[in-house]
Amino acid sequence: MRAIQRADFQLRKRTSVIAISAFVFVALLLVGCTVRFIGDYDDTIDKGVTDVQQKAELYFSKLQSSPNTPYDQGFYDDINARLAVLKSRAASLPKYPIILEQLTNLKSQFAKFQELDKSSPRPFPSVAVAAAESAIAVSVESILKLELALKARGQAPPPSLTNAKTSK
Amino acid sequence: MALDVGTLANQMLGAALPILKKNAQDAESFAKAEFTKIAQTIVSIGEQVAAGQINQQQATLLVDMQKIASRNVLLCLQGLSLLMAEEAINAALSVVKTAVNTALKFPLIA
Repeated sequence: MRAIQRADFQLRKRTSVIAISAFVFVALLLVGCTVRFIGDYDDTIDKGVTDVQQKAELYFSKLQSSPNTPYDQGFYDDINARLAVLKSRAASLPKYPIILEQLTNLKSQFAKFQELDKSSPRPFPSVAVAAAESAIAVSVESILKLELALKARGQAPPPSLTNAKTSK
Repeated sequence: MALDVGTLANQMLGAALPILKKNAQDAESFAKAEFTKIAQTIVSIGEQVAAGQINQQQATLLVDMQKIASRNVLLCLQGLSLLMAEEAINAALSVVKTAVNTALKFPLIA
């Protein structure tokens, strides 16, 4: 009888140890468990995309103010090189597929405009410049919006239990 | 003080919901502004073709650029959604940490 009681006590003690260990294990998992679904803010991409837009705006302004401005291959070579570098950077950063795809799309837009620019006789229609400029601006804004949201990550104060609403 | 499932769940929701609401409103405002610009430009392109200011080939290329811009807006929204989910989940996990340490009266979770 005493042997049975001793065996039962040992079993319950082992079960408690296992339960407490499991709880501590889960708790420790929670300690390291700050989830991350998307990469960090990247200053180089932020500034790089802004530079690309600045160069594009200069070219668009030239076409608007002087519609007979000839096609400039150098402009496209420069933009393509800059975007290729930014794409390489995005490809090497962890959890950056969204911004990488955005940069790829931006490069495609410049390719479209290059085709338009190359094939259009002069004077270049200013209405076409406005439409192209708008499309590029929307893309740039989309990239920067996301980058700046990543920059702002973690800047809001964490919620406290006293502020969290509870309902009975 | 024992941990209560219902109370803890409500506290986690209370931490996560404001984040979801605020970020959703911000994303909506951004999307509305950008899609409005794209829509206006597409309409304008149609008018330009009708007025003979640009030809069909030029219009096609310009509309393609607008479509690509739309894709980038949607990608931005996708990114913002991921960020929003991340912040909400981390806020809820933070509440769990506080609740557990308070209930046990010692910092089990650092």
